[in-house]
Amino acid sequence: MKILIADDSRVMRQIVTRTLRQAGYEGHTLVEASDGREAYNTAKSEKPDLVLSDWNMPEMTGVEVLRQLRAEGVQVPFGFVTSEGTPEMRQAAEAAGALFLITKPFTPESFKDALDSILG
Amino acid sequence: MIEYPSPTADDLLVIAEQVWSSYLDPEGVNPLIQMPPGETPKEVSAAVSVTGAWRGHVVISFSAAASRHAAAGLLGVDYDDVSTADITDAVGELVNIIGGNVKSLLPEPSALSLPHVQTGGSGHWPNVKEICSLFGLWHNEPLTVSVLEGTSSTVEAGGVGA
Repeated sequence: MKILIADDSRVMRQIVTRTLRQAGYEGHTLVEASDGREAYNTAKSEKPDLVLSDWNMPEMTGVEVLRQLRAEGVQVPFGFVTSEGTPEMRQAAEAAGALFLITKPFTPESFKDALDSILG
Repeated sequence: MIEYPSPTADDLLVIAEQVWSSYLDPEGVNPLIQMPPGETPKEVSAAVSVTGAWRGHVVISFSAAASRHAAAGLLGVDYDDVSTADITDAVGELVNIIGGNVKSLLPEPSALSLPHVQTGGSGHWPNVKEICSLFGLWHNEPLTVSVLEGTSSTVEAGGVGA
């Protein structure tokens, strides 16, 4: 599977990559985006099988990326990996079509809980 | 109406311990040690601003060595291989994580800014009062986490990388 990791922090993209490996999800093709606009463009051009996206990014927020993709009929499985997990944000994420919201700091176990039904 | 008690130093410690156990000290060999209030290190600072029902900033400040340890820990590389760009990215992400968790303790609705990072600054914050602070020692180097509430109707970006 091809997984798009979108986060404006290179450090966090590396941590997500490492955590995917620690959670046992190896052998997947990983592509990256460093802001929301790049995430949107990469989701369109690379056609990933899963998007793991930060919420708060320059150019477009993660939820704006998701809403734009859904408005154009792109139904790629999409989940957030974000430092904020308020009920309002979870509601907004779900309403926009997100499958899950993982809050930072996360562990390999929290990745498995969210991703096993998709990657397991 | 939901009551939101102000965050405390204990709240900051719980959040910091989660960050340390997840990313910076997963083996439990170099824990963050809480210290009595003291001088805030000024070499490297990072901040996120909160605007909305609550207005203010969450700020973390490191000694130069502590910021380098943080970048090395997050990236999983040797201390001596850390670049300035690594430090900027790492401390910005740390304040984003800690700020996001602090925001969950504050009145909603509110929004979190992107992080601002500054090296060697004075950390000047206009029109704020300190709500709580955590003073810590890590790798025998100082760091602090502070929550500053705005005292005027606007929150200015302040002295950290604005």
